Amino acid sequence: MRKPKEQRLQGIAISRGIAIGHPFYYTFCEIEERARNILPAQVSIEIGRYQNAVSRTSHDLHQLLDRLILDNVNEGVDILETHLEILHDPSLNTRVKLKIESNLQNAEFVFQEVIHEYQQKFASLNPFFRERFNDIQDVSQRILSYLHEHLRISFSDFPAGSIVFVKDLTASHAAEAEQVNILGFVTELGGITSHAAIVAKAKGIPYVSNISFSDLNLSEIRTVILDGRTGEVILNPTQKTLRMFEELAFKMEEQMRALKLDCSLPVVTLDGHFVELSANIEMVSELDMVHEHGGAGVGLFRSEYMFLPNHSIPSEEEQFVIYRQLVEKMQGLPIVMRAFDIGGDKLMRGSSRHELNPFLGCRAIRFLLKERQIFKSQLRAILRASIYGEVSILFPMVSCLSELMEAKQILREAQEELRVLHRQFKSDIRIGCMVEVPSAAIIADLLACECDFLSIGTNDLVQYALAVDRDNLSLGQLYNPADPSVVRLIKMVIIGASKQNVPVSVCGEVAADPRFIPLLLGLGVRELSVTSRFLPIVKNTVRKTSIVEAEKLAAKALKLSTSKEIQAILDEAYQCAFPEDPLYSYVY
Amino acid sequence: MAEKLVSKLQVKNKMGLHTRPATSIVKLLQKVKSDVTFTYKKDTVNAKSILSILMLAVPLNGKITVMIEGDDAETAMEMVTTAFNDRFGEK
Repeated sequence: MRKPKEQRLQGIAISRGIAIGHPFYYTFCEIEERARNILPAQVSIEIGRYQNAVSRTSHDLHQLLDRLILDNVNEGVDILETHLEILHDPSLNTRVKLKIESNLQNAEFVFQEVIHEYQQKFASLNPFFRERFNDIQDVSQRILSYLHEHLRISFSDFPAGSIVFVKDLTASHAAEAEQVNILGFVTELGGITSHAAIVAKAKGIPYVSNISFSDLNLSEIRTVILDGRTGEVILNPTQKTLRMFEELAFKMEEQMRALKLDCSLPVVTLDGHFVELSANIEMVSELDMVHEHGGAGVGLFRSEYMFLPNHSIPSEEEQFVIYRQLVEKMQGLPIVMRAFDIGGDKLMRGSSRHELNPFLGCRAIRFLLKERQIFKSQLRAILRASIYGEVSILFPMVSCLSELMEAKQILREAQEELRVLHRQFKSDIRIGCMVEVPSAAIIADLLACECDFLSIGTNDLVQYALAVDRDNLSLGQLYNPADPSVVRLIKMVIIGASKQNVPVSVCGEVAADPRFIPLLLGLGVRELSVTSRFLPIVKNTVRKTSIVEAEKLAAKALKLSTSKEIQAILDEAYQCAFPEDPLYSYVY
Repeated sequence: MAEKLVSKLQVKNKMGLHTRPATSIVKLLQKVKSDVTFTYKKDTVNAKSILSILMLAVPLNGKITVMIEGDDAETAMEMVTTAFNDRFGEK
């Protein structure tokens, strides 16, 4: 057979690392089903195929359900129970069977038609009920994939060594992926800070987006190399290329292993300054890795993620159970719980409101101040859990002082209510304020007067400072945390907070990028919070940085006028300090 | 003895009869042998079908006519009435 030629494609690097494997094309059953006429004698075969697909889907859902119950994700359990009811819906199933009989057509075509009918009916409902169609679609995709034998639905049973090509990656699919099977992701769509990207990064699965599939001759691709550092995807590499990347991948693994050995070492710079290095988490289950990698605590618990895929906000009791479990598992280490950051790209379906401009609309603290009952029940749950450990509360996306004052007032009311009910709680809980809107950075000194700590969320800060949608790929170059405006804003926050002696932590993606660590330390940051996977590499970087040098670097960066220049000096400094790091120091 | 009971119930859930209450109804009715229908405005649907209930799109305070016909109609009506009043366990 003719050997296909090596082909190199350039995409956007989303999650670092190198993957070498075989392609696996995954479609979310978007293909139009083709009608196939059947004979009356085949009706029972088609109905049997449909029933088989339903029972296999049911098996899948029950398995997922068991896993969620085990992990205590109660709200996820609710969703799956709904999905099971949809799956066994008598009207749906009767309709499909009758239509196979009357139209004499194949099961997948008939099923898709029936789903389209539902879609039209739901489309005429009010927006809140209209969105419920998403659940139907979710279930129907699983059924359809079982009707097509060649399509598989669960990311966890892909063949070993797969590099998954999928149009767009969902966060839940990324979460489902097992690293034994799935080595990397290649997508057509999806931005650097999308939720799928965050999950892929947390799991350490290399990911490149913005690769067009239409020009690919899929059947000719045998081997794929994915370079999640540069965004390069190499199809059918030559022996020489393959060997080079295999060596690189091996070196990276070695490095990771070596870094993990240093987990018990203190996080201290060359010249003796201590840095508090904590972890960002979304789930209770992530805590094991935090402890394993020697995290000083949790610097950011994104509370909404536990409940995000669900239909409504959990009750105070439900939240309390989860928070308490979380706090107890901290084993005395501090944890910062951020109040629900709902709205924007994280829409709680139960409260869906359609806004023209959700990122500039009613999200996070604005939403919470409007929906006081939701806010208060969360605050009460956190307050009650606080007696089991070291808990702080963080208010998301504060953009002016009055929002912080109002949030504090509601916190006092929540405390008062608990007092009346004779519930135990810590009355002197620390409160913090997220700085992710430029206005908050500018008035950091005022905010610092009214809270105990500030936490800079760089992902949103970059987005709001530059007015760039972080997932808009055509603007990819504009979204750059090394932009002079962002560096100045961070400096402004540090100066404002230091006037009040209030500590500042950085918890965005930037904190997990070792090339930015010297700059952040040089600007005066002494607390960092990163996805647990990055704790070892960040710790290593801190330990090899001296504050004196870092301050020089920061002073230099503050004088530069473009993001390109700043990025260049950061890269250069990093390459000088860590020439051996294959993950971030590379020359082509 | 087969009975036929009719009752008018009001939805007290803030979001109306959305997914979670609809799931509760369907799960509850799995044990019921009688036929159960919900009528809202002019539509009458099988109350054992979650999709049909969702398509009624009943908001807060919407009034539903519940009809139950069969051997266990009486206990079924009791269960359904309690569930509506309890907001299907929601706050």
